[in-house]
Amino acid sequence: MADKKVLVVDDEIHIVQVVAIKLRNNGYQVFTAENGAEALELAGREKPDVIISDFQMPVMTGLELAENLRKHSETADIPVVMLTARGFAIDDTQRETLRIAACLSKPFSPREVLQCIEEVISHSTAA
Amino acid sequence: MNHENANLTFRRFQIVPMVCCGIVFLSLGMCILSSATAMAGYIPVLAGLSGMAALLWPAIAWIRTLSRLERLERNLAKGQPGLSISRSGGIASILARQCVESLRNFQAQTEQSGQRQNDLSLKLQLLEKQKQSIEQIIHTIRDAVVVVDGFDRIVLANSAAEQIFGFSARSSLARTVGEAIDHPEFVASMCHIRQSKLPHLKHELTVKAGDHLHVYDCIFSCIRDEKQEIAGVVAILHDITREKEISQMKNDFVSHVSHELKTPLASINAYAEMLVDGEAQDEQAIHQFCSIIQSQALRLNRLIEDILNISRIESGLIKVDKQNLSMALLMRDAVEMITSYAQEKNITIHTPPAILYDQVHADKDMISQVIINLLSNAVKYTPQGGSVSIESQVNEADGVIRVSVIDTGVGIPPEAVDHVFDKFYRVEQNKKVAKGTGLGLNLVKQIVETVHGGRVFVASEVGKGSTFGFEIPLAAGQQITAKA
Repeated sequence: MADKKVLVVDDEIHIVQVVAIKLRNNGYQVFTAENGAEALELAGREKPDVIISDFQMPVMTGLELAENLRKHSETADIPVVMLTARGFAIDDTQRETLRIAACLSKPFSPREVLQCIEEVISHSTAA
Repeated sequence: MNHENANLTFRRFQIVPMVCCGIVFLSLGMCILSSATAMAGYIPVLAGLSGMAALLWPAIAWIRTLSRLERLERNLAKGQPGLSISRSGGIASILARQCVESLRNFQAQTEQSGQRQNDLSLKLQLLEKQKQSIEQIIHTIRDAVVVVDGFDRIVLANSAAEQIFGFSARSSLARTVGEAIDHPEFVASMCHIRQSKLPHLKHELTVKAGDHLHVYDCIFSCIRDEKQEIAGVVAILHDITREKEISQMKNDFVSHVSHELKTPLASINAYAEMLVDGEAQDEQAIHQFCSIIQSQALRLNRLIEDILNISRIESGLIKVDKQNLSMALLMRDAVEMITSYAQEKNITIHTPPAILYDQVHADKDMISQVIINLLSNAVKYTPQGGSVSIESQVNEADGVIRVSVIDTGVGIPPEAVDHVFDKFYRVEQNKKVAKGTGLGLNLVKQIVETVHGGRVFVASEVGKGSTFGFEIPLAAGQQITAKA
């Protein structure tokens, strides 16, 4: 997985850190961002294979980040995994329109995150 | 009426003696004529006299009876019905007795009828009073009531209904509900329940009142007559605007608190799992993971404490430990606690020289909590590189100390300023700037106003910053000397 890049976005530094450690320990190249604006810039530059983002963030929410990603051709196809404390906040239409690959509820398990990332990457590679 | 009937009866009886008298005089005339012409002696004369006698007696009896009846009539008129009629006698007496009997019955019936009329009149007055009383009750109740008949015509509408729909019930009587009330949804519901013949229909209705929208819980019920046919519809509208607002606030609160609780919980859970899975690769990493778990547990505890403290203050169950304290020292300690957070954002906290003799009689933990909440909010909503300052002023005249926290933050729109101390309230425009539950400032207000008898204040300008602060009384007997 050394060639696979993951961008982790959360304003909670501890969450970003724990996900990053888990993914790095399992061979992923990880980039981190504290907010949506920073994430957009990193996504355009690094072109990660998957973005894992918090749903509720200041400056730009996870949904707004996904909307912005779809507007630019270089980031339009990057699958997004949403971390949320409100599982009910994203409906199926939004998931489809914004190509949100999966949603994980807080509190989450790092093992679960790793497994989800692996599935999303293998699915997008197969596609 | 009674006397007129009696007079009519007498007039009928007077015809009989008049006819009798006529026959008597006719017999007498014939006798005299036969005596004079036939000279046949006294036999015809005797026959004529006997005929006269036979016919005169009933006539006289009638006249006497009539006379008694007239007296009876007069007595009746005077309210003295007693009159004896001779039990002897002929047809006239029998008729007279029957007549008197009839009159007595008639009088009794008249009296009964009069009594019934009085009773009915009283009942009518009572019913009228009850009707007025019920109408008064209906007009007084806060819920709106609108009643229509089987043809959708307004029968009754109380003051609340007039106010909600802006119409006059008095001038709308007999008009259809569609003509009187300009609210298509309400009118349609009223017509619908009558046509569908449902016993009840519950419907939530929104009505615009000025600039505000009010939400009403409407219950429409069919009124049925004795044949179980629909005779009309009654609609009752209960204002649930406040309940809706509270419900929305509770939902928002649950949503915010859920997020706020789950975030530290997520960290605790994730780092614990990492330790279990051996993802911490050295002692330093293990120590770091454990520290994060501990700090997140403390954060969780603070949040729960905030919620519980508000609840305890509101219910009056909180334990208050007041003592004489120096406000300057409380401010200094609070600034020390918030400095590391401010440094993360490169924000400078300015603290002017302390005021001496600024003793207050207060609960140390609570007032510290107030100052920390105000300072952390100021840092939270101030962009990188901004500044925050805290100052205090002693007002000798009012016997209070005033503490102000001034920031160069995002500011608050004017329409939101009055609500910032409300429980669970968050400024919509600033939600993206920082996270929060909307509890911190409410806790400040509760501690200052409810526990210490002071007051909170705020002034703000969008894009320039805000000043939050509070005033609490100085300690009793305090010799105040303010020094810059």
